[in-house]
Amino acid sequence: MSEPQKTKISVRHLDFFYGSNKALIDINLEMPENQVTAFIGPSGCGKSTLLRVFNRMYSLYPGQRATGEVLLDGENILAPGMDVNMLRAKIGMVFQKPTPFPMSIYDNIAFGIKLYEKLRKVEMDERVEQALRQAALWEEVKDKLKTSGLGLSGGQQQRLCIARAVAVQPEVILLDEPTSALDPIATLKIEELVSELRNQFTILIVTHNMQQAARVSDYTAFMYIGEMVEFGPTNQLFTNPGKKQTEDYITGRYG
Amino acid sequence: MDDTRDAELGMREAAVPSPVVPSRIGPARLRRLHAMDRGFRWLTGGLAFLVLLLLVGVALSLFLRGWEAFHHFGFAFFWSEAWDPVTENFGALVPIYGTLVSSLIAMLIAVPISFGIALFISELAPEWLRQPVGSAIELLAGIPSIIFGMWGLFVFAPVLGSAEPWLNDHLGALRGIGALFRGPPMGIGMLTAGIILAVMVIPFISAIMRDVFLVVPAMLKESAYGLGATTWEVARHVVLPYTRTAVVGGVFLGLGRALGETMAVTFVIGNAHDLHISLLDAGNSIAAALANEFAEAFSPMYKSALMALGFILFIITFVVLVLAKLMLWRLGQGQGKAGL
Amino acid sequence: MSTAMNVRYLRRRFWNIFNLGMAVAMTLFGLFWLVWILWTTLSYGATALNLELFTGDTPAPGSIGGLRNAFVGSLLMIGVAVLIGTPVGILAGTYLAEFAQGSRLAGVTRFFNDILLSAPSIVIGLFIYAVVVVPIGNFSGFAGALSLAILLLPVVLRTTDEMLGMVPGTMREAALALGAPHWKMIVQVSYRAARSGILTGVLLAVARISGETAPLLFTALNNQFFSMNLDKPIANVPVVIFQFAMSPYPEWQHLAWAGALIAAMAVLVLGLVSRFLIKDRSPR
Repeated sequence: MSEPQKTKISVRHLDFFYGSNKALIDINLEMPENQVTAFIGPSGCGKSTLLRVFNRMYSLYPGQRATGEVLLDGENILAPGMDVNMLRAKIGMVFQKPTPFPMSIYDNIAFGIKLYEKLRKVEMDERVEQALRQAALWEEVKDKLKTSGLGLSGGQQQRLCIARAVAVQPEVILLDEPTSALDPIATLKIEELVSELRNQFTILIVTHNMQQAARVSDYTAFMYIGEMVEFGPTNQLFTNPGKKQTEDYITGRYG
Repeated sequence: MDDTRDAELGMREAAVPSPVVPSRIGPARLRRLHAMDRGFRWLTGGLAFLVLLLLVGVALSLFLRGWEAFHHFGFAFFWSEAWDPVTENFGALVPIYGTLVSSLIAMLIAVPISFGIALFISELAPEWLRQPVGSAIELLAGIPSIIFGMWGLFVFAPVLGSAEPWLNDHLGALRGIGALFRGPPMGIGMLTAGIILAVMVIPFISAIMRDVFLVVPAMLKESAYGLGATTWEVARHVVLPYTRTAVVGGVFLGLGRALGETMAVTFVIGNAHDLHISLLDAGNSIAAALANEFAEAFSPMYKSALMALGFILFIITFVVLVLAKLMLWRLGQGQGKAGL
Repeated sequence: MSTAMNVRYLRRRFWNIFNLGMAVAMTLFGLFWLVWILWTTLSYGATALNLELFTGDTPAPGSIGGLRNAFVGSLLMIGVAVLIGTPVGILAGTYLAEFAQGSRLAGVTRFFNDILLSAPSIVIGLFIYAVVVVPIGNFSGFAGALSLAILLLPVVLRTTDEMLGMVPGTMREAALALGAPHWKMIVQVSYRAARSGILTGVLLAVARISGETAPLLFTALNNQFFSMNLDKPIANVPVVIFQFAMSPYPEWQHLAWAGALIAAMAVLVLGLVSRFLIKDRSPR
């Protein structure tokens, strides 16, 4: 963390609307490459909304819109001509609840790869194995790749979803409260996984759990009612917050 | 414009080597995939639109084929009781009357029974009994209507026929409604058709009633029980008022089915183009007239008159079904509000 | 407790027991018809069951025969109806559930689909007569299959719509978040997730059309002989049952009961299988 870091995503004057309801207000943010940035804040503060801007997930729903700029490597992903599917190839996402597709473990991983690459069977096998290894799931499932992904435990399902996202070889991975539906042991495994993946990917994680943010992230953003209150290196934000609101939140005075 | 974007993408990929496998599919192929997206959307949307078109097509084609009869007989077609293929003099009154009266009889019988069944399944039966009883009643709904017809003709009509002298003597002796029950004790006629229709629609109505009863929030019922209300009082004063419109909607849905039912009625209604007050006399319904006569109607006017009957049946059931849907839909709406 | 209150309480209890007793009686009454009708079909039908039923064709009055031609005709028409109605119903249902969820167009289409679902089947038969039989100039198995397809379509559409609606939105988002195009997401993820539900809908629809008589009366008509030609009138179980049951010949009436028993069994088995499928799916 010594050398100056390259900015991966920068957010400039971002506003977000659900219909006429403004959910995000003038967000400005620079997220460095190959680091973990955590978003914390009380529920309803807009942290998940912000995350869903980065892969334009909101554009599925009429009435939701974002204004301002979000630059990924300098390219504005909110621009009208943006191909959202090419964008989503570069920005993977993992959701609150595990979302394995109703198909085999192998096909779950291969689904994403096949969208972008035409591989021979051997190559595909390699890629699936590689993704499962990256998600620390390979040892547990290598003997049952052809069984349904729905048969795995919750924690395994979530790692399967991470493997599926990683398999597409994205540059950024969005994690939307990835451990909120998991038990503590499964949560620990996911957190370890996040720490390992940070070398290869820029990771943005939304969490309602402050300890989790402190454990896994390099940078932390604290949000409150649609506004970005404070953003900085995680150590600094938790030990020496610059704003009163941040301090109140991390010391448990509200939320 | 797309080409420039391609070029930009290409340049950027060249400039910033990412850890990407060379076999990566290019934007051109991806664009093709998304063109298929639009195609898929149009295909599915077009087929959904086809459903609307079908309904319009049914109404329009029946009306056009029936136009000759409507035009020739004018409005008198609706209240003429004539039906004479030889002189080609046709009127719709007898089948319309038969359709309405047989369905009315069916509703009078089916509604209270369905209510009882729905009440039993949703509020009374022990948990282990609900599923089997519910399934058994639904099985009744699945039996092909022609079997109801055969059973009605060969088994039920003789039984009812043997009871009809009693009806003649007792109910027939009453003033006023007595006229409804004086007639030949053949076991065939409007009353038989009505009873068999009732048996046919009971499963439909009771299934809908059960479903809407189950929608009533448990908390609402519990607060009435908490006041010391009996099961019947909860059903009467909480469940029924809460679901009233939907219950009526379910009844109308059953009515829609009864009005259009063909085979069960054709076997037992007697197929006579005469107007009788007595329910024991043979009559006719629109559906039964169509089933019996259409394939053998050779003159164009005869065919057109039957088509016109079909159009009238379609319009009657359409109106009834629209009302039913609207009423059932209202429960969903109210529930949505309660949910907030 | 005062006496007045006590009397009032007793009266309430009486009405409670009386009315609940009535509800039980009504249920027994409903089940009574079911048993009666099934028993009739079984007892009349079973005596007429024999091998000849499946090997012989519909006989002339007074001679012995079977229903082979009718079974074949029915299966052919049901098969064609499924081939036409299922894809149309599934795709149209897909539009409502995946592309148009909350839109007004979807609401209107759902509404009128439900009307089409409950429209009298004989009216559908008239419609096909008017738009297919008349222009072509003769009754045909194909016209019969088309009318059955129209009866099947709204059932499939509705179940597809409902079953896709139950697929969790996050699963869709997960597929789209990988950059999958909509159609791929639907075909590979939504359909798979809703598979058993949609199959149930198709089975229920087949159960519905396999006993339908009215729409075939003036589309497929009937055929006394064995035929697999869908361009011409074709024998089918329901219409044969109708004609034979209404006839004065005992042999024909026997055959009608045998046909009725088999039709009823087919419908009940389909119903049970689909119920089993629903159960199988529910734990998830």
